[in-house]
Amino acid sequence: MALLTVTDLTKDFGGLRAVAHFSFAVEPGEILGLIGPNGAGKTTVFNLITGFLRPTSGQILLEGRSVVGLRPHAVTRRGIARTFQLVKPFPKLSVRENVTLAAFSRLPARRDAEAEAGRMLESVGLADKLESPAADLTLAEQKRLEMARALATRPKLLLLDEPMGGLNPREVDQASALVKRIRDDGVTVVLVEHVMKAIMRISDRVVVIHHGEKIADDAPDRVVRDPGVIAAYLGTRVA
Amino acid sequence: MTRAAAAAGVLLLMLAPPLLTGNQFFLHLGITVLLWTLLGVAWNLLGGFAGQVSFGHAAFFGVGAYTTMILYLKGGLAPWYGMILGGLVAVLVSLPIGLICFRLRGPYFSLSTLAVAEIVRLVALNWEGLTDGPVGLLITTLPQVSLGGRAVNWESKVPFYYIIATLAALAMAATWRLSRARLGAYLLAIREDEDAAEAVGIDTVRAKVVTLALSAFFTGLGGGFYGLYYRYVDPDAVFPIALSVEMVFIAVVGGLATVVGPVIGAVFLTTIGELFRERFLVGHLIFYGLFMMLAIRYLPEGIWGGARRAWTGRR
Repeated sequence: MALLTVTDLTKDFGGLRAVAHFSFAVEPGEILGLIGPNGAGKTTVFNLITGFLRPTSGQILLEGRSVVGLRPHAVTRRGIARTFQLVKPFPKLSVRENVTLAAFSRLPARRDAEAEAGRMLESVGLADKLESPAADLTLAEQKRLEMARALATRPKLLLLDEPMGGLNPREVDQASALVKRIRDDGVTVVLVEHVMKAIMRISDRVVVIHHGEKIADDAPDRVVRDPGVIAAYLGTRVA
Repeated sequence: MTRAAAAAGVLLLMLAPPLLTGNQFFLHLGITVLLWTLLGVAWNLLGGFAGQVSFGHAAFFGVGAYTTMILYLKGGLAPWYGMILGGLVAVLVSLPIGLICFRLRGPYFSLSTLAVAEIVRLVALNWEGLTDGPVGLLITTLPQVSLGGRAVNWESKVPFYYIIATLAALAMAATWRLSRARLGAYLLAIREDEDAAEAVGIDTVRAKVVTLALSAFFTGLGGGFYGLYYRYVDPDAVFPIALSVEMVFIAVVGGLATVVGPVIGAVFLTTIGELFRERFLVGHLIFYGLFMMLAIRYLPEGIWGGARRAWTGRR
């Protein structure tokens, strides 16, 4: 059975249809890339899945159970964690405290939560920054902090919103390696990304969204040759 | 250990004045400072820790004051019990207010608290059957109480001093406890970024509603104490916007999200307020406002926050 099944998802903002009858499934253990031109509706799909927005219509099932209508914290507790396109650390709190807060959702005792936070931060390579305020980290470090924070909730499914946006090539490689390792540790990953080289390299499958509709759903090497996808990105004359 | 010593020191400082002076004016000043401390501490729970700036806390103060007065005058319940019930009724009032206002964020939340407090004030003003409206409620005599075989002298300020000192100390202890609990950590997360707090599994609405209730409880107690001490309440005395704003000032000037900050804020603003009133009979509020602006500009973390930073920075 699919881990996440999204069926006929639609979201209207007033007269604008941001997501239109969008369906896709995520299999356990895969890395699924969700791509599309700017404004295609990728982040809206994430916000719908995680309860930050309520769908106009459609169904979202995690392991067969609906998560529609749950508030974001309840979705997180069901096992879907996320990061944000524009990073949202708790800026004045320490790196350790940032992740400890996330571990609290499962571990009520502070000592346990802090130990868990330490492990998570070690795994993303921030073990030497534990006491720094999150605001003092570089963008690449803040993105890794957000991943550690999301992982500390022990998700089944991790939604990463542009984990590589704004990073330099070396940092992109590090982030790619980290995403793969997270998957190898047993967490299913969906990522929205604009850095095509990276997403094509690490995704098992790629879903393309354009004007809120799905226009492709296939292996990366086939998606890049899809005439519909090329048209969406470059315009029809080139295709 | 040093924390325990510091707490004992603060407690002694709070309890000592009646032993050192019989001067009723100084005791009155002490009572005023401690009442403002209680209110500042209560407001700080929500405004300082959770970053939810309420401009409507006078609603809880007034509800606490009126509950205490009405229960005594119409039900014969001694005001010290009424005070506690006043706190509890303030909690009840806070629940719908929280559920309405917490749908909004940031400045919109703050404005909605201002509006709700005005609504509560107008209800008190117009529900004459319960509140006697603008005439207000007056207690002429307080019931007899004996402590250790001696009748408590309600004409002296000393018993009032000890009552309000105890309440302020309790509120500070509750703040200290909260700052170490998981809820305290959640509130800081909410203050820093509400979306991120939800994303890591924190039920932000619940955390805020619980904190508002706690904050309303202590504010309502303060209102009840006001009724007991002044023996007179009317809507202008216990529901004004100025009262809500003063609570904000005390916490901000003292130090947001700290245990001790509001005490310092209360001492400072009460004495400064009295000084300005004495010096500049006309327009003393202008100078008071000017002082507030300077304090916020140059000590954004408050007096206590700034002092703490200077101290840890030097070590």
